[in-house]
Amino acid sequence: MLLARKAIKEYGKDIASETEEFSAGIVIKNLSVLFPDKNGGEPVEALRNINLEIKPGEFVSLVGPSGCGKTTLLRTIADLQQPTTGSISIGGLTPREVRLQQKFGIVFQNPVLYEWRTVRRNVCMPMEIMGIPKPERTRRVTQMLELVGLYHFGKKHPHELSGGMQQRVGIARALALRPKILLMDEPFSALDEFTKEKLHLDLQRIWSKTQKTIIFVTHSIQEAVFLSDKVVVLSPHPGRVSAVVEIDLPRPRGLEIKDTAEFNALVSRVRNSFEGV
Amino acid sequence: MDRAKRVFSSKQLVTLVWLIGLVVVWEIVASVVQQTKRTPEYVLPHIYQIVDSVFSQNLVNGSQTASQVVLTHAGITLARAGIGFLIGSAIGFVLALLMHMFLPVEKIAFPYLMLIQMIPILGMAPIVLAITKDIDKSRIVIAAILTFYPVATNTLAGFKAVEKEKLELMYSIAASKKDIYRKLLIPSSIPYFFTGLKISAPMAITASILVDTLQGGGGLGCMLSQSLKHAMSIYVFWQIVFFSAIIGILSFYLMSLVERLVSPHTKVRR
Repeated sequence: MLLARKAIKEYGKDIASETEEFSAGIVIKNLSVLFPDKNGGEPVEALRNINLEIKPGEFVSLVGPSGCGKTTLLRTIADLQQPTTGSISIGGLTPREVRLQQKFGIVFQNPVLYEWRTVRRNVCMPMEIMGIPKPERTRRVTQMLELVGLYHFGKKHPHELSGGMQQRVGIARALALRPKILLMDEPFSALDEFTKEKLHLDLQRIWSKTQKTIIFVTHSIQEAVFLSDKVVVLSPHPGRVSAVVEIDLPRPRGLEIKDTAEFNALVSRVRNSFEGV
Repeated sequence: MDRAKRVFSSKQLVTLVWLIGLVVVWEIVASVVQQTKRTPEYVLPHIYQIVDSVFSQNLVNGSQTASQVVLTHAGITLARAGIGFLIGSAIGFVLALLMHMFLPVEKIAFPYLMLIQMIPILGMAPIVLAITKDIDKSRIVIAAILTFYPVATNTLAGFKAVEKEKLELMYSIAASKKDIYRKLLIPSSIPYFFTGLKISAPMAITASILVDTLQGGGGLGCMLSQSLKHAMSIYVFWQIVFFSAIIGILSFYLMSLVERLVSPHTKVRR
């Protein structure tokens, strides 16, 4: 635990010392995504006319029931999905340019680890592709594993770890490449409540030390309210923004905040914003 | 109780039961053959007769005992099968790579690969022999032809079985095509590649033996037919049958062993 705190602090310092000027604010204008129907019928409208502004360093959750297009929105920001109409601008660049400049870190719902690589080499993989020199890679891997509390598991293979540990490796891998924007697609949904709560606290600490822009997809209202500065409520058929709820709870937030009236009021506000469910 | 359960459900026990069953059936049939045929050893000898012949000191061709004949000629056949197998695996792997990299290659090449596979080796072998004009080369070529198809198709299936998210992860960090192949596609296709090797290793041996029978240049297949044509003891034939069966099975296990050495942590996900 102490090791993790030290690593988070160091990681924050490393990020702060980076000289590159890039403002990771995101502006989404009139975005629509249509999926063509395979049988030649009407195309499915995954997202309709999304307008959204995300400030640099903001923690934003996209929340909604399945089929509301929250993952599609995340994928469109990540350039994994092309918009049908409308535009996304990330610090003045297109998603494609940001991707090619390797500024995205993605954490998927599944850990997506390479089972033939050890934990250390899994965390190392994106840095190999980015051409980061070996001593720096080694330093960062050690730092990241300390940060997610898996320092002693570096030589293990993924199948030797529990689901929660695997997911932490995935997070370490995404953070190691120092992304400007962290995109997380229901990263904790497969984990038990205890592991989830611990990771919530860790993620909050990492975010507050690094001030990364984080976009976090979840179907859990509680999770969204606990973690975010801003909760974007999406409704299905077609996927659209029903509401944007600002979460002005003080930080750092401890788990006890979930028992306060303010927290529950915000949860109700988010819940009442859904349409047509 | 638990221990007994474990023993009875173990794989070794199943193998043992099969083995015993096979021996029992063999021996029953052999006894019947013994009573009814004039030359029973040409139809089905008893197993002890075959075992006897392995240790027998009688010379079968003027200078060698039956087991010496089998072992010397096995060397010729297996070396050629091995070379053909290695060449075929390499071609199969490269072909799978090309088919995956360039879709037109797959579209054009795949039907022909299937076609080659459908020609029986018995029909193909004389043609290959006529082209190469050398029994050694034909053994290698035929073994390679039989090897490359299972290796190519299985490896290609391996490339295609990579999870979409793993590819998207590569895409999201703008990985080059070279990196995607080197760090993701090739390592994750390894178990499939080995599945291909396990299928084709015994086939390469069978093919090599079959090609032997075409010409009198030596090799297991050649001795097999000589023994059947009464040119030497029939027990050479029976020994070769057992020997090649065992070698075929061992070749499969050898591939499993190599796989475990090469990639001890790659689980097959199927």
